[in-house]
Amino acid sequence: MSALLQIQNVSKTFDLPGGQALTAVDDVTFAVEKGSICVLLGPSGSGKSTILRMIAGLETQSSGAVLLNDTPIDGPGRERGMVFQAYSSFDWMSVGKNVEFGMKINGVPAAERRARAERFIGLVGLSKFIDAYPSRLSGGMRQRVAIARTLANAPDVLLMDEPFGALDAETRWQMQELMIEVAEASGTTMIIVTHDIEEAIFLADKIVFLSSHPGRLKEEILPTFKPGRLRNKEDVIALPGYAEMERKIMRMMREEGHK
Amino acid sequence: MSTASKGRKARLLQVRVPVSGRQALISALGVWIAFFGVWILASGLGWVNPILVPPPGKVFATIVRLFAEQGFGADVLISIGRVLIAFALASLVAVPLGVAMGAFPAINAVFAPFVSAWRYLPAPSFIPILLMWFGTGETPKLALLFLGVIFFLVTLIADHTREIRKELIETALTLGANRRVTVFQVMLPAVLPNILVAMRQMLAVVWTYLVIAEIVASTTGIGAMMMRARRFLKTDEILAGIIVIGALGMACDMAFALLHRRLFPYLEDKR
Ligand SMILES: Nc1ncnc2c1ncn2[C@@H]1O[C@H](COP(=O)(O)OP(=O)(O)OP(=O)(O)O)[C@@H](O)[C@H]1O
Ligand SMILES: [Mg+2]
Repeated sequence: MSALLQIQNVSKTFDLPGGQALTAVDDVTFAVEKGSICVLLGPSGSGKSTILRMIAGLETQSSGAVLLNDTPIDGPGRERGMVFQAYSSFDWMSVGKNVEFGMKINGVPAAERRARAERFIGLVGLSKFIDAYPSRLSGGMRQRVAIARTLANAPDVLLMDEPFGALDAETRWQMQELMIEVAEASGTTMIIVTHDIEEAIFLADKIVFLSSHPGRLKEEILPTFKPGRLRNKEDVIALPGYAEMERKIMRMMREEGHK
Repeated sequence: MSTASKGRKARLLQVRVPVSGRQALISALGVWIAFFGVWILASGLGWVNPILVPPPGKVFATIVRLFAEQGFGADVLISIGRVLIAFALASLVAVPLGVAMGAFPAINAVFAPFVSAWRYLPAPSFIPILLMWFGTGETPKLALLFLGVIFFLVTLIADHTREIRKELIETALTLGANRRVTVFQVMLPAVLPNILVAMRQMLAVVWTYLVIAEIVASTTGIGAMMMRARRFLKTDEILAGIIVIGALGMACDMAFALLHRRLFPYLEDKR
């Protein structure tokens, strides 16, 4: 059987004002297995967000195919939930209502969605703020609301664009471990964009490393030194093989930087 | 100069540092006291012809007399009625049309060229033709007020709708929202505070057109009263009319500000 998600020879060219064209993604091919965590890593401008948006159905590829269960993606849908790089809270709703929103529009009964919202708000550590408006929260807290809102909607594929960038080190660490827990508990497939090498190695079953200008697939990296998924980040860092992989990726990053 | 007094002076005029309640009150009272002071002096010491510029006391006495003895209340109510009816009609058209134009480029493509062309036509230029079409009843006045704001209101609301952050709409879509849910449950609540702000701004414009309509072509309303007063050189009544119009406009504005705070409590914390 083929993988849950297949990105096949996908390219994306943006038409710029003035008749110019910019190739953001150039002939990228990779696959994401059901239930796995795939991390997109690469320098700024390597097309990570663009690839994620094409999978979400928010952008159409210029050529190639994006297949979910062997079916071409046609626009956005609830089975592919997305957490955006930028602020996306619904300001006029409380934190609780924000998290309930997806379930509400998908017809989940009120009692059930309240319970689920409470659970996920608890998981991201915001129980105290369930009735607060987002404007009262810090940037990092709002980002956690967005994560809870997407998780509570139970997507098959979770797309996250640098979801932990605005968080402090301690909270980021907790969120990374939460992702592992969610993946283990619900079997959600995840595609996570990041700049952070440590985060990439901890979370990934597969790292897709992209190079920039234009965004091309440079290498698929499999952190096979990990004996399956570990829930503790320090356990991963302590593994033999971690340092070597980190060094390898740092070197690749540096090469990109010197281009 | 000592550093202390220099410091105090510098503190009075700082870039974007909020003033204290006391400084705000003194500043506000000061400018009004200066205004009335100059007015009282000018009319009292005979710098100006008291027939053309009656003293403030006389004008305020005239306001009381107009309401108590000359049925000015009816004129005021007629004027308020015209403003409210015309503005309600304009909003009834502008809010759905503006939101639809902001949400759907296909609808914008139809209406934007039309609306922006009309925006450059000063509404008063329609007065002669409106009078010919609708006679001298209420219709031409309401039509003028309606025409005066509708195109601006539509444009403002469409712009605000277009400025809704892309992430909000895309979040809704990736949560499974269809077109109806996206427009009514995400875009509309997101733009509502700005719609109210646009309405507040445009209500002030409606007052402007009201006075034009009543001065040019009416026998009732505040503007008509002022034109009658002019014929008999009653400058105190003209000034009374101006003050009443100003007070009504300010009351409308404050009502909208209050409504905004009531309807959108979640904006309170955000500065
Ligand atoms: N809507 C757009 N119109 C034009 N160009 C775009 C658009 N979106 C992205 N690009 C361009 O495509 C390239 C890749 O952008 P993208 O946002 O996918 O990069 P990224 O890898 O996510 O970078 P970062 O790490 O900084 O978020 C960039 O050069 C960007 O300027
Ligand atoms: Mg990006």
